[in-house]
Amino acid sequence: MKRIRLAALAFGILAVIGLPSLGRVDAQGEPELEPGSPERGEELFIVACATCHGRQGRGAASGPAITDAGAASADFQLRTGRMPLAQPPGEQPLRKPPAFEEQAIRDLVAYVASLGDGPPIPDVEIDASLSRGMELFVANCAPCHGATGAGGAVGGGALAPALDQSSPRIVAETMIIGPGQMPIFDLPGEDVSAVASYIEFLQTSDPPGGFSIGNIGPVPEGFVGWFVGMGLLALLAYLVGRDWRKAGG
Amino acid sequence: MTAERWITVALGFSIVASIGLVVTYLLGGQAQVEGMLLAVALGGLGAALVIWAASLLDAKPESEEVHPLASPQTAREAAWETLSPDEITRRGFLLRLMAGAVAALAAALAIPALSLGPQPGRALFRTDWQGGARLVGADGEPVRVADLGLEAVRTVFPEGHVGSPDAQTLLIRVRPGDLALPDGRADWAPEGCVAYSKVCTHAGCPVGLYRAEDHALLCPCHQSTFDVLRGAVPTFGPATRPLPQLPLSVDADGYLVATGDFAEPVGPSFWNMTHADEAED
Amino acid sequence: MLRWFDDRLGLASFARSGLRKVFPDHWTFLLGEIALFCFVVLLLTGIFLTLFYVPDGTPVTYEGPYLPLHGQQVSAAYRSVLELSFEVQAGLVMRQVHHWAALVFLAAITVHMLRIFFTGAFRRPRELNWLVGIGLLTLALAMGITGYSLPDDLLSGTGLRILYSAALSIPFVGPYLAFLLFGGEFPTETIVSRLFVFHVMLLPALLIGGILTHLAILWRQKHTQWPGPGRTEHNVVGKPFWPSQVLKSTGLMLLTAAVLALMGGLLQINPIWTYGPFDATTVSAPAQPDWYVGWLDGALRLFPPFEPTILGITIPSPFIPGVLIPAAAFTVMALWPFIEARLTHDRADHQLLERPRDAPLRSAIGVTGLTFFVILTLAAGNDVAAIIFNVPVETLTNALRVAIVVVPPLAGLLTWRICRELRRRDVERAAGKRGGSVRLRRNAEGGFEEIEQ
Repeated sequence: MKRIRLAALAFGILAVIGLPSLGRVDAQGEPELEPGSPERGEELFIVACATCHGRQGRGAASGPAITDAGAASADFQLRTGRMPLAQPPGEQPLRKPPAFEEQAIRDLVAYVASLGDGPPIPDVEIDASLSRGMELFVANCAPCHGATGAGGAVGGGALAPALDQSSPRIVAETMIIGPGQMPIFDLPGEDVSAVASYIEFLQTSDPPGGFSIGNIGPVPEGFVGWFVGMGLLALLAYLVGRDWRKAGG
Repeated sequence: MTAERWITVALGFSIVASIGLVVTYLLGGQAQVEGMLLAVALGGLGAALVIWAASLLDAKPESEEVHPLASPQTAREAAWETLSPDEITRRGFLLRLMAGAVAALAAALAIPALSLGPQPGRALFRTDWQGGARLVGADGEPVRVADLGLEAVRTVFPEGHVGSPDAQTLLIRVRPGDLALPDGRADWAPEGCVAYSKVCTHAGCPVGLYRAEDHALLCPCHQSTFDVLRGAVPTFGPATRPLPQLPLSVDADGYLVATGDFAEPVGPSFWNMTHADEAED
Repeated sequence: MLRWFDDRLGLASFARSGLRKVFPDHWTFLLGEIALFCFVVLLLTGIFLTLFYVPDGTPVTYEGPYLPLHGQQVSAAYRSVLELSFEVQAGLVMRQVHHWAALVFLAAITVHMLRIFFTGAFRRPRELNWLVGIGLLTLALAMGITGYSLPDDLLSGTGLRILYSAALSIPFVGPYLAFLLFGGEFPTETIVSRLFVFHVMLLPALLIGGILTHLAILWRQKHTQWPGPGRTEHNVVGKPFWPSQVLKSTGLMLLTAAVLALMGGLLQINPIWTYGPFDATTVSAPAQPDWYVGWLDGALRLFPPFEPTILGITIPSPFIPGVLIPAAAFTVMALWPFIEARLTHDRADHQLLERPRDAPLRSAIGVTGLTFFVILTLAAGNDVAAIIFNVPVETLTNALRVAIVVVPPLAGLLTWRICRELRRRDVERAAGKRGGSVRLRRNAEGGFEEIEQ
């Protein structure tokens, strides 16, 4: 009898500890994610964002209003780690590891979306037409981001960043919101998917010609031509040209 | 290892690599493998020859006399005599006439080179834009003002001339209050929609980069930068002329149309560009 | 077997003298040979490429295996290069070897030319061969430009646009010349087929003729040599043509080809499938030509905005940096042997080379010119440097504008001082061997001799 009571007590203790997590544990034991909650987002926002962006995102001395930024903008900024800023405002924010976990990002995005009527997170489909994607990429994206998406300097101290880490969702979001110096490219949905598909192709395809030396064209090719090509050949000329017997070789 | 051994090793590698190349080709080929095998095949043979020359040949340096190449005076005179006998040099008038005939023939034979290209005529002074032409995107669809968001940039063409190289135009939407266009152009940019030629006035590359916050168009070739709010005047780089602006208006259905061609030639300058009236087709 | 030929051609005595001809031994004398061997590789790989390339600018639809281009409108020329790269066996490696060989060809010519310049090998009686050499350099540049424009891709097409604008900028004849060369207003479909004729027929013929002339003059005049024991202005000391030099040179040729083959297989170059077909309404960044045209692009980037109108005639801004300065530079380079002979009053034949320190003025002027050229070439990559070093491209450009004016003369002055200092030390060392001071004089052989007091 005593053993049964002990067992029941143990079971009860375990149940009390374990129950709250029952609803939030999936098959692998990871916490299951819920859609973003504006209420939880507001709490996070007050702590992490309101200092610069003001209450309810209405703007403050050191940050612009984000009432019409929308889910797309918030998702982009938080997922690529650009926000919260790690440097003084004014410099171009660049990608860094995100400061928030996935659930926190969803909550913040939901909250920012509720502040006004900015663009929602777009739907993107991969395996859309690679060919249409390349056409659009070359016409719209390559001038700033480079033909291979390696990034580029666009003057005025601004950089069009490399696209090697941009997921299709991020690509779609940036085209809609045009963050920072980037203009808006509001193409129809299937064109956006096509561009995202092509960017994914650039990220995953192997260069058929061998090592791609930085992928930015004739400048690195010229350096390699001189230092590797001419360098090796000059060395060979020296080795072939010297008198080995006189030098004791 | 003696020189002979080295040569044998090098030639051995070379033979194996050459066979490998044939096999690779027959199996379907692969660029990196082909490159490496070719390098070994060539390099092995080359190394063998070089080692042979360096080790197995006689090392004694030899000497050779160098005489001035100028021929002795008597030889020169004899050569000149042979080159220009009296029968030719005496006839001064005929020689000059002959020279004239050869020159005239050369000019006549050279003249068909002009068939290689047409006269420029008025080609550099005009584009496919004219009054009433609707602006269409690269897909051929006309552009409505309502569809153009703030800070959006699009490449547009006259309707019916999609892809026209000298009519390519950038359409940008900005806040009307931010514009500071030159005098007389107040009505060229309805509702903040402003259009400039996309052909750089420096060396003709398409001005493909736009910095939305700075309202600056940048040409990637030589970094000429143009200020969109002030009529695309150059603010950096080697360009001296602003990008020509296309006068726009909105038609009854809300589509953007041009009200005329560009006021000056698009693209890089040329010597008589200020003399449009003198150019004929 | 050889008797069969001699019965018909009578070559034995020529073979006897020719094969025993003496060539001096120094590794720097092999640099010109490397350029020649690059040319051989270019010829052989070029023949292969010519059999597959279609010199036609007419638009067609690409339906080959490279998916991102499938269904796009491209020129027949572009399509043929894609086919060669993806559907012809050994096509891609041949194409890449060819392009790497072109880059290295011009590097080798440059290094060889610098060696000739800084050792005074162009002095009488070799002024003619210097002129032929400058001609070969010009032809090689033209070969490179016409060659990389043949695939009709977005990057090289943008380069052609700039060349067209440079032609356009010439006063009075510009528009006519540009329309003549291109067959009309840019862009035209015929330019690709015209460039092909130049690249595959006219220019190689001139280049081969020029190279043979260059070698023939060298053979006739004999090669120069460094001063040293047993060497005078009236002999040449070295090894015989056969077997020593032939074996070494053939070996070096194969080794050169080996290096180029390795690069062509392992290092990707000019991936035109990523740039896309040429389209006059778009451009990709960064936009540069191949390295040997970089000086021209750099000049166009650095030259400040200057477009005067004189008596109603506009002098377009690309004219001075793109046409005038290059023409002046090449003219000075070509005439240098005669300019130097005037400055030094040196009318003697020379068989011995000089060390750079023994000609301070020439070395200083050479370094000035070289520095100028190097800064211009680096300037062509100012936007790439801006990304790598995270500096605004405007700052970099302005810094280079200052550098191009300030650094070359400073480098020249520094060179002159270094040469004089090195010579002073040579004199001291020679004097030191005898103890006490001596008065020395350069003799015609290039050495020093004491002046009897």
